[in-house]
Amino acid sequence: MTSPTAVRLAGFTVVALALWFLPTLQGPLDFPIFYLLFGYTLLFWFAQASSWNMFTGYSGYFSFGQGAFFGVGVYTTGVLAAKRGWPLIAAIPVAGILAAVLGLSLGFVVFRLRRLQGEIFALVTLAVAFVVAAIARVSSTIDGGSGIALNDVRLPDFLGTFPSMMFRLGLIIAVLTVFAAATIQRSRLGWGLFSINDDEAVAESLGVPTFRHKMMAFGMSAFFAGLSGAVHAIQISYITIEDVFSIRIPLFVIVMSVLGGMRHWMGPIVGATIIHTLTDRLNRAGDLDLFGGSLTVSLDHLNDIIIGLLLIVMVLAVKDGLWPRLVKRKWAAAGAFLFGLLVARIWAPEMSPIGQFVAGELGAVVVLLPPVAVIDRWRNRRESSKTPDEPTGRPTVGATP
Amino acid sequence: MSLLQFDGIHKRFGGVAALGGVSGTLAEGEILGLVGPNGSGKSTLINILSGFAEPNEGRISFAGVDVTDTEAHHRFEAGIARTYQIPRPFSSMTARNNVAVPLIFGKTKLHPTAATDRAIHWLDFTGLASYADQSVSELNLHQLKYLELARALASEPRVLFLDEVLAGLNPTEIEESILMIRRIHDLGISLVIVEHVLRVVNALSTRIMALNQGLVIAEGAPADVMKDPEVVKAYLGSRWKHA
Repeated sequence: MTSPTAVRLAGFTVVALALWFLPTLQGPLDFPIFYLLFGYTLLFWFAQASSWNMFTGYSGYFSFGQGAFFGVGVYTTGVLAAKRGWPLIAAIPVAGILAAVLGLSLGFVVFRLRRLQGEIFALVTLAVAFVVAAIARVSSTIDGGSGIALNDVRLPDFLGTFPSMMFRLGLIIAVLTVFAAATIQRSRLGWGLFSINDDEAVAESLGVPTFRHKMMAFGMSAFFAGLSGAVHAIQISYITIEDVFSIRIPLFVIVMSVLGGMRHWMGPIVGATIIHTLTDRLNRAGDLDLFGGSLTVSLDHLNDIIIGLLLIVMVLAVKDGLWPRLVKRKWAAAGAFLFGLLVARIWAPEMSPIGQFVAGELGAVVVLLPPVAVIDRWRNRRESSKTPDEPTGRPTVGATP
Repeated sequence: MSLLQFDGIHKRFGGVAALGGVSGTLAEGEILGLVGPNGSGKSTLINILSGFAEPNEGRISFAGVDVTDTEAHHRFEAGIARTYQIPRPFSSMTARNNVAVPLIFGKTKLHPTAATDRAIHWLDFTGLASYADQSVSELNLHQLKYLELARALASEPRVLFLDEVLAGLNPTEIEESILMIRRIHDLGISLVIVEHVLRVVNALSTRIMALNQGLVIAEGAPADVMKDPEVVKAYLGSRWKHA
């Protein structure tokens, strides 16, 4: 008999191998190189969102530490690979380990103190990101305030041309991170984290080693965020404290995970796909002329507003994220996706494939947005109109206190 | 030798002494009734013995091993389990998964898949098998209290603390619960029951310990403790002293 873990491992291997050879097919298929870099950035967000979610999504401890772990990863490459001449491949694992050490030291202090739960935990992790940024700024061995250029880093040439190499590095890290998130979800650790999310004191009294589980998950979360940051340093190519430690990373991973759903490893994947494709299109959309040119809106600047609004809508309307709904309404969502795609093709044939994908995506999201209760009510009404004499819904079992 | 022993347990909240040096024992197979008016320290004592709270002073030993500094999850593995006065289910999980958690992490240490299979045994024992795959939000208070029992029993404890399992139930449910407590005792589990319904404690307990203002005021056979003038005074107030 094959175990679920073996099946999952096989599935991930197949997907990873298929994507591994995508850059090889770029020549024969003749698609623009832009898609490889686009793919890299998507994989980067998969890794970032999944690494954040494997701790916060499962345990419920809201961490803003992602920016710090990512930053440690970026600056490890900056210091070791750019300043000290290490090959990038050697700097990446060190970045993961350093980020994990930061996560574990932070966890060791805050998880010991029971009063540091809830909002206070979120604030402490945010503060740590500021402290790490401040240290990097003043320390001349790290940054010193002038930024680091990564032009001369020794890159792994055996992975192909620059876009192919970035895509493949991003792929390796995304696959490792997502595989870890999926494995944790179904393991003892995942069970422990989900029970901590519901009621930590009860979890502890039913045998869950709460401190150890939080440490393990936080450490791994930081590790993968660091790995991913180390590769991303190359993509940024000139790193500065302001950019690396901006609110962008923690904010985006939160929005992506909340949007997709935080209780399943697929949630951050779905969320990252939607957010990244959408922001990419908005960034490239340029200016939008309204009212015959009397009002010009730069869609680029609308980006953050849209992300903010999306977060508000999701938190209010779709508490569990899109993934659980996607599972329940997969055919409706697939139909709406195709519909959106076709409308875009017919209405705007010059639109890029990513643009068409976004159109399909928005169609699917519209189908997923109505709350389950509304759909249930509609179904009940339809069923009751078929059999008007029978009571609808199932009988209630006792009154809830 | 006693299964559970605690000596000189002190617990202060701020300047208030919730427990002022409580000692006692629980022998294998006993049902110890813990009685006392509100605020007498019963729940605090249970919290401390189950590892939920730390005492300021005093030692606890379980099966001959000092567990004073043992974390709650290790005490659960060792065989000390408890229920909560107000049920605290894992609200995002089904009834089955609620019971699977202690099977995964308690003494049994089952793999998650095996644990979700095994959980049905304890749901069946508590009469909740038909609710196994429903969300706990669909259970009523009586059922939630049984779910608490199923979770506590899942890792086959040696001692079980029952914190007011009957509070808030109607007379029929109370009768059912009493039978359930007897069935649990028949599994060979020693019980400590905290209860306001004195009639029930009387009927169930093999021994009673009465607390008032953080101190043990009487201990012994149920009939004797209930007649103890100190206990009567604590429960009914001094006006009834001469009644």
